Amino acid sequence: MNLVETSETVLRIVLGTIGVTIFGIIFGLFYKGIDRKISAHMQGRIGPPIIQPFRDIRKLFTKENIVPENAIPWIFNLIPLLGLVATITILIYLPIGGFQPIISWGGDLILILYLLIFPSLALAIGGFSSGSPYAVVGAQREMATMIAYEFPLAIIIISLAWKLTQVGGENVFALSTIASTPIWNNVTGPLGFIGFAILLFVLIIVTPAELSKIPFDAPEAETEIAGGLLVEYSGRNLAMFYLTDCVKTVVMASIIVVLFIPYNISTLPILGIQSGSYFAYAMDAIFYLIKLFIVILFSVTLIRVAIARLKIDQIVYTYWIPLTLLSLVGLICIMWDGFIMNALGLV
Amino acid sequence: MFTIETGSGFWNPIIWAISIAIAFLLIYVIRSIGKKEYKKDTEQVKSFLSGNPEYEKEKMHVKASNLYWGFTTSLKGLYNLLRKMHTGNTSDYVLWFVIILAIFFLIEVI
Repeated sequence: MNLVETSETVLRIVLGTIGVTIFGIIFGLFYKGIDRKISAHMQGRIGPPIIQPFRDIRKLFTKENIVPENAIPWIFNLIPLLGLVATITILIYLPIGGFQPIISWGGDLILILYLLIFPSLALAIGGFSSGSPYAVVGAQREMATMIAYEFPLAIIIISLAWKLTQVGGENVFALSTIASTPIWNNVTGPLGFIGFAILLFVLIIVTPAELSKIPFDAPEAETEIAGGLLVEYSGRNLAMFYLTDCVKTVVMASIIVVLFIPYNISTLPILGIQSGSYFAYAMDAIFYLIKLFIVILFSVTLIRVAIARLKIDQIVYTYWIPLTLLSLVGLICIMWDGFIMNALGLV
Repeated sequence: MFTIETGSGFWNPIIWAISIAIAFLLIYVIRSIGKKEYKKDTEQVKSFLSGNPEYEKEKMHVKASNLYWGFTTSLKGLYNLLRKMHTGNTSDYVLWFVIILAIFFLIEVI
């Protein structure tokens, strides 16, 4: 790589990071506003205006940033910042707006799985560093939840990668490969379709736990442990965690989109849109934002309105027994898909 | 350049380091807009305990073993079985090791 290429790459990373930071924060807050509005309507309330999350952030910035006397100040202040920063960096590896990832060769899906641990770990470390019994209980619950949902999540990723390997894909964990090879196009028969539908269902159930949303919000549980790991946070530090939650929602929805619905609307022949035109790019970007909305609606809004909070032992049981078994059933369906169709001579 | 490849996976730590440095600077600037003052040496810095009395730190300590409560309760049947097997006798553990090794051997042979 010569000097010009190196400069171009560095410039791409710098501008890309600035771009995804702005995108993640603005759309994260916007989707949170929509989520709150819809959930309020579902409960028969008017709800706050969609721009309320922006106002919340502005208000938090004007509030005192209290550091409790029992806290470890440097960890207590640094961790919310690191949690948000790590979450933002995930976006540079994801295909956003129907485009290829900003740095497609910089990391793969396995890296994203590791980076997803950062924000949850930041919450847990922040809770432990608060020096409050409520925060410590919340931090322990956050760690237990993380251990619980990683199991079915890993099975989903391995299943998808295995299928891509079977269809002759190279770099099966690369996001560019996954986005350009939609899994539904590689289904041989009904069993494969059922298998992928099961995996999609499990991933939708994993998402609220990744985001600490109801019914998997035992680490915060306002009515029980007064906000748990966030109980001592206020002002700009709390604003950082608030933004992390918003950006992580966009990240999780983008992961579901790239894994299960990586289609672009501009490629539909019926619309007659000229490929590569600005209009095609605009349509794909809008379509991507609609896909994000639908994913957030099903995986966050509907679930949190419909189901009450689970206890931490119920969360662990849910992920380790029914959802792990379900994702294994999905994997077996995908594995047997090709064999059965071949045996029946239908392929 | 500097991309680590494992055969099936890959990542470039330099790219991530540059990206995280840029994002850190941006977020640090945004965070610095917020108010940083608070009233030290007041009731404000005491831990929130919902009006409960504050005891000595040793009495209020939450044990690390509580982390596993969710697992031991939800998988009670399995843990009870495992506890019975943990006799503390080295001979029993060696016996289990030999049995598992034999099972692996049989699987390999078949």
